Amino acid sequence: MARILIVEDEKAINTLIKKNLELVGHTCVSVFDGEAVFEEMEKNTFDLILLDIMLPKLHGFQVIQEIIEDVPVIFLTARGAVADKVQGLRLGADDYIVKPFDMIELQTRIETVLRRSNKADKVFSLCDAKIDFSSRQAFYKDELIDFSPQEFLLIESLIKNRNIALSRDKLLEIAWGYDYGGETRTVDVHIHRIRKKLGWENVIKTVYKLGYRLEVRQ
Amino acid sequence: MRIKTFIATYLLFLFILFLSVGIVSVYLNNSQINMLKEKSASQYQTITASLARDITILQNRYQHNMRQDIFYDAVDTLIIGYARYYRRHNVYINITDLTLSERDRSSPGSEVSFINIDDRRFIYISGALPYPFEHILLEYRLDITENIADMRNIQNILLLSAIIFSIIAAFALYFILSSIFKPLSVVAKASGNIADGQFCERIHVKGKNELAQVAYDFNRMAEKIENQISFLEEEAVNKQQFVDNFAHEIRTPLTSIYGYAEYLQKATLDEREIIESAEYIMNEANHMKNIANSLLELATLRQYEPVKNEISISKLFDDISQTMEKSLRDKGARLICRNDADTIYGQEDLIRSLLLNLCANALNACEPDAGIIQLEAKELPTGKVAISVTDNGCGIPADSLSKITEPFYRVDKSRSREFGGTGLGLALCKQIAEAHGAEMNVNSNADAGTTVTISFATFTTS
Repeated sequence: MARILIVEDEKAINTLIKKNLELVGHTCVSVFDGEAVFEEMEKNTFDLILLDIMLPKLHGFQVIQEIIEDVPVIFLTARGAVADKVQGLRLGADDYIVKPFDMIELQTRIETVLRRSNKADKVFSLCDAKIDFSSRQAFYKDELIDFSPQEFLLIESLIKNRNIALSRDKLLEIAWGYDYGGETRTVDVHIHRIRKKLGWENVIKTVYKLGYRLEVRQ
Repeated sequence: MRIKTFIATYLLFLFILFLSVGIVSVYLNNSQINMLKEKSASQYQTITASLARDITILQNRYQHNMRQDIFYDAVDTLIIGYARYYRRHNVYINITDLTLSERDRSSPGSEVSFINIDDRRFIYISGALPYPFEHILLEYRLDITENIADMRNIQNILLLSAIIFSIIAAFALYFILSSIFKPLSVVAKASGNIADGQFCERIHVKGKNELAQVAYDFNRMAEKIENQISFLEEEAVNKQQFVDNFAHEIRTPLTSIYGYAEYLQKATLDEREIIESAEYIMNEANHMKNIANSLLELATLRQYEPVKNEISISKLFDDISQTMEKSLRDKGARLICRNDADTIYGQEDLIRSLLLNLCANALNACEPDAGIIQLEAKELPTGKVAISVTDNGCGIPADSLSKITEPFYRVDKSRSREFGGTGLGLALCKQIAEAHGAEMNVNSNADAGTTVTISFATFTTS
């Protein structure tokens, strides 16, 4: 998993992001002002920086201009004006997320940026199952298992958001798209099949009233 | 306007000029003609009289000779002499014997009239000679063609000079009007510019006439508009700034609340994590409540008239040191009160919250275990009472000083939030001071500390 530097002066939000990212297996370092970014980057290398704009000591737009290492940057800010977004992206940011944000959305965007820079995991193994994201194949006890595209999308999002519950609606949207008029029961049927095929009866947990969660002990 | 005035004035001028030229030439003409008439009438009289006399003399000389033929010859010669003589004075004389010519002219009078012969004009008088020569008719013609030509010339010269004068007058009038209307066109141009939104436009008109007064009033109006507009623009910028700040201020706690709620809902957590997350949610909700309360207070104070009472300063200071005691002890700071004044007039709870707010700010600025806060009341020579709060804390950078009373402005964003500040404290303080007619001044040196002084304007009840 990736090493992520979180630059956010709001302690509550910084902690929140850190907790969420650690749930899915990323390693996180929190800093609370602009100058600390460079101190931290001297000590460690990072795969991604989540950067606020309104920062004490050094403004986020200045920070991104002074980063010499080739690290993807995602702006995470309360400044939602189009001009700010344009400026942020122009300065070389890979994405721009406006607060308040949805945790799943944050995870997805981080995943996308990581994939673009080839820092995302290509293979995931749990119990006797192994998932290969680049060839889009799944194996159970080293045996290739046949999955429909929807089922693979479901497996993928459960893995990317591991330890986080995904609602049935969200899963439906991920696997079948926005305008799919189907029942959320469809999700249950497919999840049931995935559990059986991969032997994940005990790791894909049903969350009361909400949906499903892939539980992975760190 | 200028063209209209020019045309009207000029037409009036032309009318008067040509009317007087006409009257003068008619008058000159008439008097000349009358003079000629009188002259010719008197000349005619002279001629008839002297002719009659001469004929009588000839008659007497030749009658006794009974030489009628000689007499007639003599008369003819006489008449030719007369004619020759007067011919030199442009007078033509013609004598007819009515008995010889057999023409019957009953009582020819000596009437004056004008006749034209061969393009020439004459004054014509005809009449009989006096007794006893009634049968002799004398015709008198005075050639006045030259005189009339002279008069025409004079008239022409008059007309020509009138035309030249009117052309000169046209230029003169144009320049005079231009110089009179110049300030007006300056005013017109300036007002046009103002209408187009250039409110900095001013008019420069010298002198003390009505136009200068107009220009003066106009400038005052432009200045008022300019001030008003810049005030409104500033207000609009402030409002926009406020809205932006407010959105940001609200978004931060909302992000936390939503995020932690989502975290609680979707992640598998142990009890410690659940309590921690719930605490974050509650803290942020609390923070939002504080913002809402402060904003409400700020809005209320904007039009609030404080209920003023006499407040004993020493009592007020005691009250504040008591309230601050715990937080002072926690941070290892000292509060020193110095009071050289008796009372102020104001609404006690507002004044207390104002001073508490300032003291809390001062305490936040101080380093732990080194803070000294001075609360001081002084009577100024002007009769005002100044209450000041001084700290030896981190100070405020000079470029931030003017903005610190703006809502949500924070010199050090993260520090202020750490202390649970809403970013509205100093805005509230300023509002309270203004509601009391007091002035709030902030002096600060970075790293040396800050002094906030509130001068209560009047000491008497208002």
